[in-house]
Amino acid sequence: MIACLLIPGFELRAALRERPGLALEAAALAPAPNTEPLLGPVTAAAQAAGIKPGMRLGEALATCPSLVLVEPDPAAVEREWEGVLRRLEDAGFAVDPVEHGAVVFETRGVERLYGGVQQALQRALGAVGSTWDPRIGAASRRFTALAAASVARAGQILIVAEKDETSFLEPLPLSLLPLSADRYAELEGLGVRRLGELASLPGGAVAERLGADGRDAWRLARGGRAGKVRGRRPPPELMEALVFPEAVANELTLRRALGSLLERLLARPERAGRPFRKLALSARLVDGGSWRRALTLRDATAEPARLRVALGPKLSELPAPILELRLEAVELAEHQGQQLALVEPAGEEAAGRLREGLRQVRASTGTGSVCAVVEVAPWSRIPEARALVVPRDV
Amino acid sequence: MVADTGSASARRPAGRLNAPRPALVEAGPGGAPRVVNRELVTLVREEWRVVDRWWTEEPVDRRYFEVVLETGRNVCVYRDREEGCWFTQNA
Repeated sequence: MIACLLIPGFELRAALRERPGLALEAAALAPAPNTEPLLGPVTAAAQAAGIKPGMRLGEALATCPSLVLVEPDPAAVEREWEGVLRRLEDAGFAVDPVEHGAVVFETRGVERLYGGVQQALQRALGAVGSTWDPRIGAASRRFTALAAASVARAGQILIVAEKDETSFLEPLPLSLLPLSADRYAELEGLGVRRLGELASLPGGAVAERLGADGRDAWRLARGGRAGKVRGRRPPPELMEALVFPEAVANELTLRRALGSLLERLLARPERAGRPFRKLALSARLVDGGSWRRALTLRDATAEPARLRVALGPKLSELPAPILELRLEAVELAEHQGQQLALVEPAGEEAAGRLREGLRQVRASTGTGSVCAVVEVAPWSRIPEARALVVPRDV
Repeated sequence: MVADTGSASARRPAGRLNAPRPALVEAGPGGAPRVVNRELVTLVREEWRVVDRWWTEEPVDRRYFEVVLETGRNVCVYRDREEGCWFTQNA
């Protein structure tokens, strides 16, 4: 069975961890700098005052003048989300994070350990902790599990049996589908408001009217494809931080601090001589917000000079003076060194470069971005049945 | 070095290569396409049928046309007789 654990408004909850009192007041996540002035998630008190997520800032402040705007805290979001995922992994679940606040996992591997699906999901809720108000939906398909989690209450486990999946999805709103606002409007104009109404239309007609997006949405409205969940590979826990006694904005000081953090990170024994493939630099800003930049290196390296050159320019992007600087190893390369050969076998160099290139693509775009074409039925008269595009871990 | 453009959500399951894409087609009286994706068809080079998997719950019954458009492009389209709509595909 596939389960989906959902924590609505995760970005706001993470930003409020250090100011829990605000969770009971009318508060909303402020728009990120240089983006459209639309509100992020809002608290229950704000909702009661008529504020909705995605509302324009001006309209929201006119509706509720006492609304507190919470600065986005991307570093806290990343840290807290990693904590949630690790607690689930410690409980034995191979997790596949969808986005901040939504994660999918299979229960099959742990059902016998905990004595059933219900008990395993109860364990997952317990691992995350009730302070996050998590809820779980479970079904035989990924989309149905996500839909079940979306309608479940905080702390509730909603299991949808395979035979009930169609009737469960029918009355749910279209907003669960990953469609653009134009498409929703188009469907509403046609009188289609529920998943069941979309699912009952002929697939060909939907594809002709709405294109490939519409076709995908139609498939999801019918439950989506059955597929397995691929658990992520947990990132290494390598992080160094430096807390300043007072706010720092001087570039020379920041560069020295970065140099010191690099030295400490390179000296960590857990690294076991492996070079860095991807690093993240984050900071706690003086006004309470945070800042984070991730960097994928073209060639994995552990040379301090090259790392300083790569990371140094990021410091100039800091929007405000900082109180704390953190350096985190997000991904380490698997090799420890490069073995040179006296005479390279023919084609070895090209193959090695190709492997390295694919590794770089995968490191910068994520797991599953590198695919291989596998012929499954080259003799088939149906063109799309001849070959599959399969994600390949390099 | 390259900037970070990815995330964990970049994952995707195995997909079909050369999957059909919905097409806007206006057909002539004999069922052959006259307009494909708002481009006029100047020549129908070939036509064939694929009937397969009739023993399953998802039978395939397609009428393929290889056509040349007014821009000179070669395109392969088919009409799915089960769903009653048109698709483009590299056959």
